[in-house]
Amino acid sequence: MNGQAAGSSSGGSGDGGAAPRRNTRKPKYSKFTQQELPACKPILTPKWVISVFVLVGVIFVPIGLVSLMASRKVVEIVDRYDDACVPPNTTDKLAYIQNPTISKNCTRTLTVPKDMDAPIFVYYQLDNFYQNHRRYVKSRSDTQLRDASKANDTSTCDPESVANGTAIVPCGLIAWSTFNDTYGFVHNSKNLTVDKKDISWKSDREHKFGSDVFPKNFQKGPLIGGKTLDPNIPLSQQEDLIVWMRTAALPTFRKLYGRIHTDLKKGDSITVALENNYNTYSFSGKKKLVLSTSTWLGGKNDFLGLAYLTVGGLCFFLAFAFTLLYLIKPRKLGDNNYLSWNRNPAGR
Amino acid sequence: MASERPLLDASPRPPPPPPPPASSLLPPPQQEPPLRADRLAFSLDVPDPFRREDHPQQQQPDASRSVVVGDPSAAAAAAAGFAGNAIRTAKYSVLTFLPRNLFEQFRRLSYVYFLAITVLNQLPQVAVFGRGASVLPLAFVLFVTAVKDAYEDFRRHRSDRQENNRLARVLAAFSAPGGGEFPPKKWKHIRVGDVVRVASSETLPADMVLLATSDPSGVAHVQTVNLDGETNLKTRYAKQETQVRFSQDGSVGGVLHCERPNRNIYGFQANLEIDGKRVSLGPSNIVLRGCELKNTTWAIGVVVYAGKETKVMLNSSGAPSKRSRLETQLNRETVILSIMLIGMCTTASVLAGIWILNHRGDLELTQFFREKDYTTGKNYNYYGMGMQIFITFLMAVIVYQVIIPISLYISMELVRLGQAYFMGADKDLYDESSRSKFQCRALNINEDLGQIKYVFSDKTGTLTENKMEFQCASIRGVDYCSGKDSCGYSVVVDDLLWTPKMAVRTDPQLLKLLRSGGTDEETKLALEFFLALAACNTIVPLVLDTRDSKQKLIDYQGESPDEQALVYAAASYGIVLVERTSGYVVIDVLGDRQRFDILGLHEFDSDRKRMSVIVGCPNKTVKLYVKGADSSLFGITKSSLDLDIVRATEAHLHKYSSLGLRTLVVGMRELSLPEFEEWQLAYENASTAVLGRGNLLRSVAANIENNIHILGATGIEDKLQDGVPEAIESLRQADIKVWILTGDKQETAISIGYSCKLLTNDMTQIVINSNSKESCKRSLEEALATAKKLRITSSTGTLSPELASESAGITLALIIDGNSLVYILETELQEELFKVARECSVVLCCRVAPLQKAGIVALIKNRTDDMTLAIGDGANDVSMIQMADVGVGISGQEGRQAVMASDFAMGQFRFLVPLLLVHGHWNYQRMSYMILYNFYKNATFVLVLFWYVLYTAFTLTTAITEWSSLLYTVLYTSLPTIVVGILDKDLSKETLLAYPKLYGSGQRDEKYNVNLFVLNMLEALWQSLVIFYIPYFAYRQSTIDMSSLGDLWALAPVIVVNMLLAMDIFRWNWIVHAFVWGTIAATTICLFVIDSIWVLPGYGCPRKLNAFMSLHAMVPHFVIKAFSEHFIPSDIQIAREIEKSENVNLVNRSEVSMTRLDDPRR
Repeated sequence: MNGQAAGSSSGGSGDGGAAPRRNTRKPKYSKFTQQELPACKPILTPKWVISVFVLVGVIFVPIGLVSLMASRKVVEIVDRYDDACVPPNTTDKLAYIQNPTISKNCTRTLTVPKDMDAPIFVYYQLDNFYQNHRRYVKSRSDTQLRDASKANDTSTCDPESVANGTAIVPCGLIAWSTFNDTYGFVHNSKNLTVDKKDISWKSDREHKFGSDVFPKNFQKGPLIGGKTLDPNIPLSQQEDLIVWMRTAALPTFRKLYGRIHTDLKKGDSITVALENNYNTYSFSGKKKLVLSTSTWLGGKNDFLGLAYLTVGGLCFFLAFAFTLLYLIKPRKLGDNNYLSWNRNPAGR
Repeated sequence: MASERPLLDASPRPPPPPPPPASSLLPPPQQEPPLRADRLAFSLDVPDPFRREDHPQQQQPDASRSVVVGDPSAAAAAAAGFAGNAIRTAKYSVLTFLPRNLFEQFRRLSYVYFLAITVLNQLPQVAVFGRGASVLPLAFVLFVTAVKDAYEDFRRHRSDRQENNRLARVLAAFSAPGGGEFPPKKWKHIRVGDVVRVASSETLPADMVLLATSDPSGVAHVQTVNLDGETNLKTRYAKQETQVRFSQDGSVGGVLHCERPNRNIYGFQANLEIDGKRVSLGPSNIVLRGCELKNTTWAIGVVVYAGKETKVMLNSSGAPSKRSRLETQLNRETVILSIMLIGMCTTASVLAGIWILNHRGDLELTQFFREKDYTTGKNYNYYGMGMQIFITFLMAVIVYQVIIPISLYISMELVRLGQAYFMGADKDLYDESSRSKFQCRALNINEDLGQIKYVFSDKTGTLTENKMEFQCASIRGVDYCSGKDSCGYSVVVDDLLWTPKMAVRTDPQLLKLLRSGGTDEETKLALEFFLALAACNTIVPLVLDTRDSKQKLIDYQGESPDEQALVYAAASYGIVLVERTSGYVVIDVLGDRQRFDILGLHEFDSDRKRMSVIVGCPNKTVKLYVKGADSSLFGITKSSLDLDIVRATEAHLHKYSSLGLRTLVVGMRELSLPEFEEWQLAYENASTAVLGRGNLLRSVAANIENNIHILGATGIEDKLQDGVPEAIESLRQADIKVWILTGDKQETAISIGYSCKLLTNDMTQIVINSNSKESCKRSLEEALATAKKLRITSSTGTLSPELASESAGITLALIIDGNSLVYILETELQEELFKVARECSVVLCCRVAPLQKAGIVALIKNRTDDMTLAIGDGANDVSMIQMADVGVGISGQEGRQAVMASDFAMGQFRFLVPLLLVHGHWNYQRMSYMILYNFYKNATFVLVLFWYVLYTAFTLTTAITEWSSLLYTVLYTSLPTIVVGILDKDLSKETLLAYPKLYGSGQRDEKYNVNLFVLNMLEALWQSLVIFYIPYFAYRQSTIDMSSLGDLWALAPVIVVNMLLAMDIFRWNWIVHAFVWGTIAATTICLFVIDSIWVLPGYGCPRKLNAFMSLHAMVPHFVIKAFSEHFIPSDIQIAREIEKSENVNLVNRSEVSMTRLDDPRR
């Protein structure tokens, strides 16, 4: 008997050799392959919900307050002059602006509402001017602006790429339509100097606009769009052009004209002598002159502060509301009785 | 000594024609297909879908090929169409790669859409993105896929080359130098007609007909594991004619006629003309490419099919492609998104038209439009209102295209790949006993596993182990069932002890009866009974060495586990099968070795449901032994003689099957000489016919198999697999209906139903067992009435039928058999059956044919939206597996046909529970979330673009640089969702197993439906408004330039959508952390990099980081989430809380049964 038992057991072990199935190796155990990596399993318990709301409120409300205060500190003078600078009794504004023989000089008087500390930023603001229009945005040649040897690289500049058979530098609609109103300021019968240095981005001056690229054949076409450039100054120093060519995101925009390094007192009156050259009349755009101080936040804009305040306040309210709700209708976490199949008593 | 001599030589009166040599008189035994009770009904006729096309009856006479043995050139001349032996599985060559691969890739609709957009963008008027930038994403995707395909194809080329350059020994022509030798030759040069010599453990290079083997009787053993996965050895025979001729002078010859190449690996018909005789050849004479020669020193064969015409190559086709339900539903949402897209484009173009209309007088002088080009004096890029609107529309399509997330399809593929990896790596899905891993064969229906409502299961090999154990015998009406101890029995051969490998429990009474040596009728018939068991089969005894040099082990190898069990049983009672050759068997009958000549063998087939052998006994009588299904054998008994015995046997059979045993009936008949001669003539004619041989043999068998004496019956236990009752219980708790479709008898099926807890005593059973259409109709109507009555008495009327019947504690079980199904399926009664089946919680179908299995699956699949899963292990389950939404193959004892046809393959039935409840749930949850999230994130981005267009005079300028908008879907947001789609788990494995009802979320489509889609779109709308308008108002009337604001608008959606993802992630492990935060960081870095390239307009932009202020947009999502999780919690939410509080081990009744599943086995 014993011998036979041994025989059958050895047969059992021989089985493995006789049956070489597709022997796949047993998957090795690791926390990764078994999807059991240590993990945090957050659950929105009442404690968590309320603390998140309170925390957000605590962060957002101060941010909102600070932003709002900063924005309120900014003093801003905005003066729309496009209509006012057209001589009275002019019926056809377009004819007026297109006629080079009519003098475009115009004088505006501004009153300082509050003390303004230097530096005071001078902006021009255009309304309803679509610098982001598809035809317009594309009409420029960055290679040409940067590299003197690529002057003929104007394929992307249509319809302002060549004039009289030669390439325009800088080509394209954007450069062609550079803003060309000018402003002079008189304060207490003293000229206020407007500092026009460093109004553009340093990176643009250094890398996008070449210091050996000079305007050429510019504004020589039948229709003059805007500013003419001094052909003896390289593009990297034509800061008005550089500012203009950084196209605005929205149809209402400001661009920096210069800085005034003089403090202005409340009630001071400033006389602005301006040249109203730029044609916005054809598409009923508006032109505004803006004098503004600045804070760490930028210009005057209450929106962000209000937004933070609102959301922060809302979070406090929600924290309160949820506390109430949790008190009124508490639920024990992880209670079996809430499972759908346990909720209905059996036998129904 | 007389017993050693052929029967007819010794006959006193030789038959009129001169007796031919003994060996040629003995027709070779035919290889018999696996004999299994549940296969009895249908096995061979419809084992797989390929078979029908090459059924012998449909063969045309011209469908054969001729091969001149040993002369490949002649064979080639006879028909130029023979393939060489070089194989080519690679799809492409260097030249065809590009066109073919592109063609394959563009068969996906999404790629065509992508291509159309790209082409549109190449038109100069419409170009939104730069040409390079627009081609890049598509090119990238195409390139990656092409590289993957090329690599796979390279590996195929390499393996082809290796395969083709393997060496085989091929007989050189006698005229050539070295004639008669077997010099090595590369596989690829082997041609049809070559004679090849194969040594032990070598792989066969092509499909060959055996000519001779090292065994004098011409036996060769092959292992077909590469072909069908079956590891047992199969016996193949060389014909005596060729065997003798080769052994005499080493020569070969003759002309072979065989069928055209076909896919049927179990069928072959041919004949061989040799020395002026026609010898028939069958499936037992052919060895197939890919098999290995075992236990045979050498074998010589002639190549009949080579290369791509071999059966293994013809069978290498992949699983059918199925589409997941989520993907189908996703198409609906894609249509909604397309409508949104068209709506947005229309809005933009109409508004652009209105703007131009209002300003048409100003366009020439307006600096930012300037209609005219003064160098030519014509309009520049302006084609009038209508055209302008049309162009705007096309451009809008290009700009807003991402609202239909192309990258989603790629992400889904990657996520499925990851999920498949983790399913394969799960140690809980690894089967120790068969050493097989879980295999994901179809990569596109992972998520369907989470929505299954019906499981259709095969019984044998799926619920049971398919390891048969002999339990009971009924001999001449006496039941011997009290087997207790398993004392083995050994025989002594040449002073060595030969022991069968397995010992079977024996009944002492029966043992005593046999050993008594009595000569009474009872003992003799008992002996006959066991002789029938030992002889009437195709089992081959293999003698293995053991460590003890005095002992040898007999291993019975065969294709049918039932037969193995029977032979082991006979051996335990002392009737030991010792040797089998093509002409005779040697059986040790209680210590006395006797030789029995096998004169003929009638294969099993599904019409007769039985097999028989004709045996020449040592005492010169000729006997017919039959074994088969009860219904089949009782029909051919000499009922006048054995009425009592038949009755007693029937009673025993009933008892056995109600114990869950598989039953077979054994019968015998003595043949008179005239009968035998008549049969022999018919048999020889039939077995040499090339065409229609199967039918001829069948009729020969039917003629001789009558007037049978019933010897007795056997009961074999088919053990349940581990954990099957627990698994079925879990599935039922998860509201999955489990149907069993089996070929077994009704009683067996019901008893298995009880033992796996599918049926319980408090169930009302409806049995439909009819033989005509009318009675079927009647039973169905009655069943429906019963169901209605139960429903009315048990419910208050408002609940759904299933809920009502279950809550009342009265459940219905429908038991229906294959006969009735014949009248029901494919007729108008189907609808009735469907109604009845819907009312029942358990359905058992017994005695069903493979195609009926598919029909039942189709019954549910076509009438409901419910997902179906079919699980099975055998060739008879293939049609059902292919029909169901999800097909699971058990890689078990029965070969690989089911696995080859399946979408998923695993080792054990109980793995279905972790597969569905855990992985299915995860996959569904992850994939649903990923799809919705992808829709949401792309919609958010597109809407931001859309709002901006309202401020650009509707000209489709994008403030966001084209690079950022292209990278948004590809890089900025896709990686975290892929990682989350692969790794996130809403609940742990333990919780999901402890609460099977949690599976319901997938069945009810809770994670992906139109409501959720709309909710996500509203979220996208709100967030895009916040993302757009906060910077808008903050920077209105400021000096901000387009690129700076564009950067804000590019970064803000990335932050917001990733934060939303972060809020919804269930489990934060370090990988998830790395990807979510890493993506936000990477996006920021990317923006800085893009802005440091001086050509791009955004050069040097500051202020990007202000984008974090868009986090205001998250408040509503957080509020809704906090509110709904606390006040209207889903089951999953509560389960998560339970899991967090870690009292998961203390709860729930099902926990007790589930712990067994979690434990490693024993």
